[in-house]
Amino acid sequence: MKLISKTLIYYLLVSLPLLIIAGLLSYFLINSELKDGTDETLMNEKINAERLIQSLKEPKSIYLSSDSLSNIKLISGAELNDGFIDTLIYNREESENVGARMLRSYYTVNGNTYQITLLKTTMEEEELLEGILATFAIIVGFLIVSFAIVNWLLSKTLWKPFYSTLSELNKYEIQNHEQHHFNEVNTLEFNQLNIALNKMMDKIYSDYQEQKEFTENASHEMQTPLAVIKANLSLLMQSDNLKEDEMNRLQTIENTIKKLASLNKALILLSKIENNQFKESESISIKQFTSKIADNYIDLFQSKNIGLELNLSEDVIVKMNPTLAEILLTNLIQNAIRHNSENGKIIIELKQNQLTISNSGKPLTIPKDHLFIRFKKNDASKDSLGLGLSIVNGIAKTYGFKINYDYSSSLHHFQVNFN
Amino acid sequence: MKILLIEDEPELRKSIKQYLHQEGYVVESAADFVKASEKAGVYDYDCILVDITLPKGSGLDIIKQLKENGSKAGIIIISAKNSSSDKIKGLDLGADDYLAKPFDLAELNSRIKALIRRRNFDGNKSIVVNEITIIPEQRQVNVNNELVTLTAKEYDLLLFFISNKNRVVSKNTIAEHLWGDDSDQMDSHDFIYVHLRNLRKKLMDKGCADYVQTIYGIGYNFKVNG
Repeated sequence: MKLISKTLIYYLLVSLPLLIIAGLLSYFLINSELKDGTDETLMNEKINAERLIQSLKEPKSIYLSSDSLSNIKLISGAELNDGFIDTLIYNREESENVGARMLRSYYTVNGNTYQITLLKTTMEEEELLEGILATFAIIVGFLIVSFAIVNWLLSKTLWKPFYSTLSELNKYEIQNHEQHHFNEVNTLEFNQLNIALNKMMDKIYSDYQEQKEFTENASHEMQTPLAVIKANLSLLMQSDNLKEDEMNRLQTIENTIKKLASLNKALILLSKIENNQFKESESISIKQFTSKIADNYIDLFQSKNIGLELNLSEDVIVKMNPTLAEILLTNLIQNAIRHNSENGKIIIELKQNQLTISNSGKPLTIPKDHLFIRFKKNDASKDSLGLGLSIVNGIAKTYGFKINYDYSSSLHHFQVNFN
Repeated sequence: MKILLIEDEPELRKSIKQYLHQEGYVVESAADFVKASEKAGVYDYDCILVDITLPKGSGLDIIKQLKENGSKAGIIIISAKNSSSDKIKGLDLGADDYLAKPFDLAELNSRIKALIRRRNFDGNKSIVVNEITIIPEQRQVNVNNELVTLTAKEYDLLLFFISNKNRVVSKNTIAEHLWGDDSDQMDSHDFIYVHLRNLRKKLMDKGCADYVQTIYGIGYNFKVNG
């Protein structure tokens, strides 16, 4: 829920009970004021009635109103106490009982006692309530509208720095750290927020940078020890009196070192790509590169009995680093060879700025978004490092290419969109 | 044949020295920039192996120094930094080859041989091993003066064997030599076997002796007596 809507709701939640209390109060106040007013009027009329009685030449009863409810009656009996009574009278026009205030008073002139009955219909409580409710409903309506307008204005003006910070945050990519900065604003809190964000981002960036350099340096440092092991292994292999068992062990060690060396090399490559160390770029014909690389693997296609279908109809010219272009295509083709099925096939198609490399093979056993993550391997038994596609992904990211994976009709499809 | 090895890691220095010594080279070594610069300035070498990251300086400066002094030595860079910019810089300065660590001694050996061949054997352009004659410039192989037609891989394999003759070379080393970075992609051992079988057959068809010994579990030895 938007902050504005939330504040609006809170305002209303607070103001509604207040309004209800105010409504009740005004109801009671108005009600009693009205009663007092009626009573005063009745008292004045009583005085008028008494004057009327005094002016009578002979004692008699008089009707004071057309409905004969207010009257002066000559009674035989003692004078009683005056008193106000709330009562209901039947209204013929509206055919309902309406509230009325009645003053009954006694007046004795010349030994004749008169009973004065004065009636005044009062405003019905229901009507009063309705009136008050209507008033308050209008007030609430005005409140909501004005809150909404004020909030909207506030968010347009006061909250503006916040929203611009938010959109800057959304755009943030650590690779383009230098392009992002949270500017100074003149609202204290938002300024503090921006300062804190700048500080945090700088820290994250420098940690990230350090981490990246660490990977590269660590891998470099490992090269020399690996070279030492490899060299000594070569020398050891020259021994004349090695037993079969020992030779097998040497072979195992050599294979492992080879794997370690490849792993190291791939890691260095990956961090170099991420560190943007391949700066030079030139116009690359994807068609030329692809067919050249596919050519390099003819031996392999034949030995694995993989059928290759090259369909490079529309060339794509891309501005990129030639080494990276070669690695990108090589890794994709290698991947298609490595994860192919027996007597399988590879289809390479280039059209509409899109290169699709498809190979036969069993469906993935891992979620497809794991494909491009380092060391996530589909088939652990296969002799792969689990870095090839991460490198592909890294290169694609560098140049803003889109990579898609899809599996259909027993074929894995890797698509590179060069747009 | 004199080689100067400039490498700061003592164990690696020792191994390379030993391997090359067995090949019949005279190997001198230097562990840091100052010593290397001294030796390179005073003596003549046929080949200099230089590491780029050295204590007290850069291997690249030694290459510069050698070239300024008009040295005729072949230069091979051996570096832990497999970076194309270093490679280009080194080759621009006049280095002849670049080998990234970790490398195989057999690979280093074959690079040195190729380099020395290019530099020194201008008059004598062929390699002769008993009945086999290789003319590297034309990538041509004769057995008993008869031309043997080899595929590119078979030729490379033969040359690699001969460069490392009487040595055990592992299948991995061969695979890396023949296919470079792509070698981990191969079911390389079967693959080498196929190429080797064809090579052997072609050589023996022309009356060549079978020099290739299979070293169980590891690889092969191109054994030439004498």
